[in-house]
Amino acid sequence: MRGLIANRRVAIPLAICLALWLGLTADLRRGPRLVSYDALPPEDGAECDPSSPGISPAAGLSLVAGELPLRDLLLRDRLLQARVAAETQDASQRKPERMIRDPYAAYSAVAVDAAHDEVVLTDENLFNIWIYDRGAKTPPNERTELKRIIGGLNTKIEFQCGLYIDPANGDIYAVNNDTIDTLVIFSRKAIGDVAPDRELHTPHGTFGIAVDEEKQELFLTVQHDNAVVVYKKSAKGTEAPIRVVQGDDTGLADPHGMALDTKRSLLYVTNHGSSHQVRARESRRRGAAPGFPLDRDDAVPGSGKIGPPSITVYAKDAQGNARPLRTIQGPKTQMNWPTGIAIDEDRNEIYVANDGGNSVLVFDASAEGDVAPIRVVKGPASLVSNPTGVFLDKKNNELWVANFGNHTSAVYRADANGDVAPLRVIRSAPADQPVPGLGNPHPLAYDSKREQVLVPN
Amino acid sequence: MHGIAYDPIHDEFTVPQQFGQAILTYRGGANGEEAPIRVLQGPHSQLDAPEHLDVDSVHNEIFVPTRDGAVLVFPREGRGDVAPIRVLRGPDTMLGGDAPLAVDPVNNLLIVGGTAGRGQTRLLIFNRTDSGNVKPKAVIGGPKSQLYAFGGPFAVLPSKGEILVSVRGPGPYAELSSEEACVGVWSIHDNGDVRPKWTIGGPHGVLRMPRGIALDVKNRNMLVSDKRLNAVLTFHFPEIF
Repeated sequence: MRGLIANRRVAIPLAICLALWLGLTADLRRGPRLVSYDALPPEDGAECDPSSPGISPAAGLSLVAGELPLRDLLLRDRLLQARVAAETQDASQRKPERMIRDPYAAYSAVAVDAAHDEVVLTDENLFNIWIYDRGAKTPPNERTELKRIIGGLNTKIEFQCGLYIDPANGDIYAVNNDTIDTLVIFSRKAIGDVAPDRELHTPHGTFGIAVDEEKQELFLTVQHDNAVVVYKKSAKGTEAPIRVVQGDDTGLADPHGMALDTKRSLLYVTNHGSSHQVRARESRRRGAAPGFPLDRDDAVPGSGKIGPPSITVYAKDAQGNARPLRTIQGPKTQMNWPTGIAIDEDRNEIYVANDGGNSVLVFDASAEGDVAPIRVVKGPASLVSNPTGVFLDKKNNELWVANFGNHTSAVYRADANGDVAPLRVIRSAPADQPVPGLGNPHPLAYDSKREQVLVPN
Repeated sequence: MHGIAYDPIHDEFTVPQQFGQAILTYRGGANGEEAPIRVLQGPHSQLDAPEHLDVDSVHNEIFVPTRDGAVLVFPREGRGDVAPIRVLRGPDTMLGGDAPLAVDPVNNLLIVGGTAGRGQTRLLIFNRTDSGNVKPKAVIGGPKSQLYAFGGPFAVLPSKGEILVSVRGPGPYAELSSEEACVGVWSIHDNGDVRPKWTIGGPHGVLRMPRGIALDVKNRNMLVSDKRLNAVLTFHFPEIF
């Protein structure tokens, strides 16, 4: 018996059953009094015969009692909690039978820190910023040796898509897309799971970034609001933008990448093509931050359009409902989800990471309308696969491409054309590893006919 | 994109296109750059920023929540600038903005996510054909329910009357990840501050930021997407089927 009582799994239920009986007896003897209770975490072994009087769910929720001693009240509460806990069946520790997950980085944006001879890559799969030697030699089919990494919950890095390296000090500006409304800025000394050195609260759905060093202005595209917001480069916290480009005439349509031509004072924006109108509707504004563009709560119902992709070109200091100076758009352009963009101001050329077309398109930066690219890097030898980021390293005359589709970032001569092999490759995974291509999966559907799972990203 | 529905009867799937304010339907076996077989879009649609949806393949209807707290119901085969055939809207509905929803065509229910103040959400259960400013027939939510915040679209298992909900957890990194996150299972017959019948994959399990849920009834599997893991997990879970 001593051993039995010492067994907590048996003793507690017994005590609770006894207390229930005592408590209910007392309830009947004394007048009614509402007893409230707050649930406690489930307790192992707290079991009781569900057929016992007073422990049906209904009885548990409407229990009344008299002036019970505190000890009895507590005991009865524990019984009720045990009953409630028993209603929740715990499969919290069940392991998944299968998991579709890429264990390797999927590069999304790339930038070179020419002063320190490093290349920096964002990663939309494992949520890290990876820093390598710019000239790192990657053995065939192996991973590239890493120099340092920034990542972890303290960093607030998640689904990063835009990247800028301050040429003066190597600060890393990394844009979170639509899960964290924060631009995070790290010093080049940051390593590991560290808080950003600076944070800026941004509109929801930022993607591309560009900086005008002369004017100390920072530009961000906002996908969800079809807008460009411009901040002081030093902005932090909840500081408001100093100007916004947004409106029906702007031609902004799911804007992504951005490049500045400071020589000609121009701003280039890549657009995937979908848009809708917005109108200020104060009754619907829900906590909109000062100076932010009109957002989803201001969407004009039924005004949406799904158009072809484009590159829209503006005056660098454009604001409000500014018309583009030029638009590059049409079937000859080969554009299909144009995403990252870089500019060579000297050669007057723009480089576009053409995600859906598995190519890098190079246009005359003065182009307008439905024009063909002047060069295209594409093909199996090039390794270009779902490119989302491009960077032009003027110092070394090299073009960098972040390939979301094959665990690589590849570097070419700036004038590369056709299906050319890269000069070098940064690789996050052995070459033969599969690429699930997951990027912020949200809803799921199960196709019971084909026994397939549908995963929008 | 926060919604997708596969229609097993007509072998097609439907997604919302938020930026273009459209509902796109593709054939079930669509692959590559295939055009949708139907596009629902235009001023009469009242679509503002469609993120979630569900399709009732039995009664041929598409349900879409709006940002301003309504649920629009369209004919499944609607294309072009089609007006909704029903609208659920008004203060009595308790609907918030753009919440996930799920249709139970067998038990004739519409379950919609709602907010109940900071850090709490609730499930609003309506009759499937409800229209206008009607009260939900049941509301599940409250401190004991553990419904902190919806992780994403939920699923309904009509044969068992179960609602499967991805629940985000609290904590210092709640915006990114929480060890308290889980999938909770409630009954369509629940009402009030009711604990989940099951918790799966957490708290303190493998899930960190669960989002969408899909059910593979034949193999008795529950599939869950997780934002922080950037993964799709398959749990074999015969108990709920």
